[in-house]
Amino acid sequence: MPLTLTVNGQKRTFDIEDDTPLLWVIRDELGLKGTKFGCGAGLCGACTVHLNGAPVRSCSTPIRLVADQSITTIEGLAPNGTLHALQQAWIDHNVPQCGYCQSGQLMTASHLLATNASPTEADIVAAMSGNICRCGTYSKIIAAVQSVAGQKEEA
Amino acid sequence: MEMNRRDFLKTSITGSGGLLLALSLPGCASVETGYNADQQSWVPNAWLELTADDDIFFTLARVEMGQGTYTGLTTLIAEELDVPPNRIQPRFAPAAPEYRNPLYKLQLTGGSTSLSTSWEPLRVAGASAHRMLVSAAAKVWKVESSQCRTREGRVLHPNGQDSLAYGQLVALAAVEPVPSAPTLKTPDQWQYIGQPMQRLDAHAKVTGTAEYGIDVELPGMVYAVVTRPPRVGGRVKSFDANGVRTMPGVIEVFEIDRGVAIVADKYWRARKAQQALTVVWDDSDALTLSSADVMTHYRTAADADGGESERSQGDMAMALATADDVLNVSYEQPFLAHATLEPMNATAHYTDGHIDVWAPTQAPDLGCIAAARATDLSPDEVTVHTTFIGGGFGRRLTQDYIGEVAAVAYRVKRPVKLLWSREEDTRHDWYRPAMLHRLQASLKDGDMTGWQHQIVGPQILDWYVRDAAPAQYPWAPKFLYNTLGSVGLMAEGIATPKDMSAIEGAVDYPYGVDNLSIRHTHTDAGIPVTWWRSVGHSHNGFAVETFMDEIAHKLGQDPLAFRRQRLEREPRHLAVLERAAELGDWGRPLPAGRARGIALHRSFGTYVAQVVEASIRAGEIHVHRVACAVDCGQVVNPEIVRDQMESGILFGLTAALYGQITFENGAVQESNFHDYRLLRVNAKPEMVVEIIDSAAPPSGVGEPGLPPVIPALGNALFALTGERQRQLPLRA
Repeated sequence: MPLTLTVNGQKRTFDIEDDTPLLWVIRDELGLKGTKFGCGAGLCGACTVHLNGAPVRSCSTPIRLVADQSITTIEGLAPNGTLHALQQAWIDHNVPQCGYCQSGQLMTASHLLATNASPTEADIVAAMSGNICRCGTYSKIIAAVQSVAGQKEEA
Repeated sequence: MEMNRRDFLKTSITGSGGLLLALSLPGCASVETGYNADQQSWVPNAWLELTADDDIFFTLARVEMGQGTYTGLTTLIAEELDVPPNRIQPRFAPAAPEYRNPLYKLQLTGGSTSLSTSWEPLRVAGASAHRMLVSAAAKVWKVESSQCRTREGRVLHPNGQDSLAYGQLVALAAVEPVPSAPTLKTPDQWQYIGQPMQRLDAHAKVTGTAEYGIDVELPGMVYAVVTRPPRVGGRVKSFDANGVRTMPGVIEVFEIDRGVAIVADKYWRARKAQQALTVVWDDSDALTLSSADVMTHYRTAADADGGESERSQGDMAMALATADDVLNVSYEQPFLAHATLEPMNATAHYTDGHIDVWAPTQAPDLGCIAAARATDLSPDEVTVHTTFIGGGFGRRLTQDYIGEVAAVAYRVKRPVKLLWSREEDTRHDWYRPAMLHRLQASLKDGDMTGWQHQIVGPQILDWYVRDAAPAQYPWAPKFLYNTLGSVGLMAEGIATPKDMSAIEGAVDYPYGVDNLSIRHTHTDAGIPVTWWRSVGHSHNGFAVETFMDEIAHKLGQDPLAFRRQRLEREPRHLAVLERAAELGDWGRPLPAGRARGIALHRSFGTYVAQVVEASIRAGEIHVHRVACAVDCGQVVNPEIVRDQMESGILFGLTAALYGQITFENGAVQESNFHDYRLLRVNAKPEMVVEIIDSAAPPSGVGEPGLPPVIPALGNALFALTGERQRQLPLRA
């Protein structure tokens, strides 16, 4: 049975097995390659997207659970070519090394700032602990989030 | 070879008036240089292409896997070409002899060598093109070229008003003589080298547009997964694919060298079909060992064979015989997986007798060999295209996944992407070897008089030479591949470089001592191993710096002072050690329940010392702070140096705190990030990194931050608890 999703503001319909993880629909059916596969078990966060504005692990979210709902991917974070403030901060701070995890990091961080405009460092660490960076860019991730949140010190 | 080629180019270009010319070496694709009138593009050398539209392309032959070659190497060529680095568009090099790493005679990115081996050639390539552009402009204006300056991609007329863009000059520059030894800028003329430049790949990596291997998409592409034997050395006996072949989307199910491949129209359908596949394994040659058996194997080997002497001075036997006391310890380290966040994958298409492979690989020319082995093709019928890489750490120097995709593509004759699951990536890695170290120190009159280190374990080249030797001789017929591998091993140190993988970081023991013996007992338990970030330094750094700490404590000396007094002849070691001690507040009081450890290690030409501050709370080790001093010679990009130190520290702490691959009955037990943990942001210490000013030639930074942090943490835990841990990972 066809399933409908709204992805980055566009309605899309798929005829695909309903246990297919959202990740593979995003990557292979829609061709949006910015969302990455890391573990397939919700452990690393590389596949993080927003479901109705909240971060979910697309690798372990069967598509039937998100039918008729709204998905935002990294490509939807800068819909009209204007970078999200966090993307610009990531560039300014030279955050990415290999870069593979950074889509997921940005999706998690953007949700944090959407729900808490002035997070403390502890808030940032708590929010970001589900996203692994094997290159170890964590110091810069924290600094980049803080620069957008507009505060540097632990509150 | 470099000079011959240039001389050849010079005569050819001047003789032929700038015709396109191709250099060819037997058995390998090569790079066309010269001016292409149709494309209005000038390829002055293997590294650069300048177009009439003022595009500048730089061929990046050292893959970008996070360590910063995309930015750092572009900076070198930009400096001499006199254009801002962000004006240059890097593109990934194909496999070609021009792009071989001169240290290895292979097109490898590894060993923290990218910057040191590119430092001269890339600046020369940039300067050479720069000189030709200036000469061309001078001829147009009928002025002396020495009177012309350049700025940001334009040649400036001496009159201070006129200028020409490089793009306007490409056709003319192409017929200028190639300078044999162009003058390079002096350090005071540098605009970009030594400055913290923006990473050139950052925009693509924060918008999701950087193309990694996993992102390669070809028209009509299908997807493959492979079921591999759970036990090392197992083979397919039989498989039942009857139910599998009729599952939705399944195209083919067949045996390949490494297991059973399932090809389907969609990735998830291939995975679901894999769950329905039953394979019976032939385990007659499979390993049965457990992790404990590996160490028993090493101990037995070490007892039977004291090992080959790798370095000796004085009379160690005498030192031991006449000592007041002898300190005698063993250290044991486990196998480690690489756990790159992008799992192994590759995409291939076989058509018209040629196979194209797109892969995140650190060694595209070895990829050609792996693909040739897996098919009936020869290496020159294979083209390997490289991509951005989601972490390498040495894993992608081994090309098994390219062999797999080639076998599958050769059979299905349509574009196919092979993707490993995380579980497959963890269980079918080629590991950092488990190692055993036996150390003895002779102590007399309150001093250390002798140091003996017996390293017990395998050498990486034993495994790696299988594809590396044929890659060095790509015109050799395939039936010789295995022979070449064997000859490569037998000729170690003569025809092939001496394998330092087991002994590096131990054989170059830096501390002054009268009697010294470093030996290697070469033994292999049969578990596949390969390069892992910092290679031998990752285990020898721990052994040497932990034992130094043990001896200092035994002698009742401060671990810093004990090291310092033995570094009189090693000023660069001493300088980083002292600076790290200052940064790490060595000797300053700490709150109750915290302690510090110190360690120093030189690897890949770079000197690093670190002070770690740690505590144990609620049954867990907490690392609070790491102070790090590094001397990597001339710095090209200080921000990347600091980033790589932090990266190495966190990679090392991951190994120290969690890292271990274990075997039961010849099969890996760990599978995913719940049981092969990686350090997360909530365990990140505060890190302070300081770079020592140096005008020495640049050395690498991708690996050297790692080795000292493991012993520094172990030493801190000893200071905290009084209990010495001699096995990794460390326990609370």
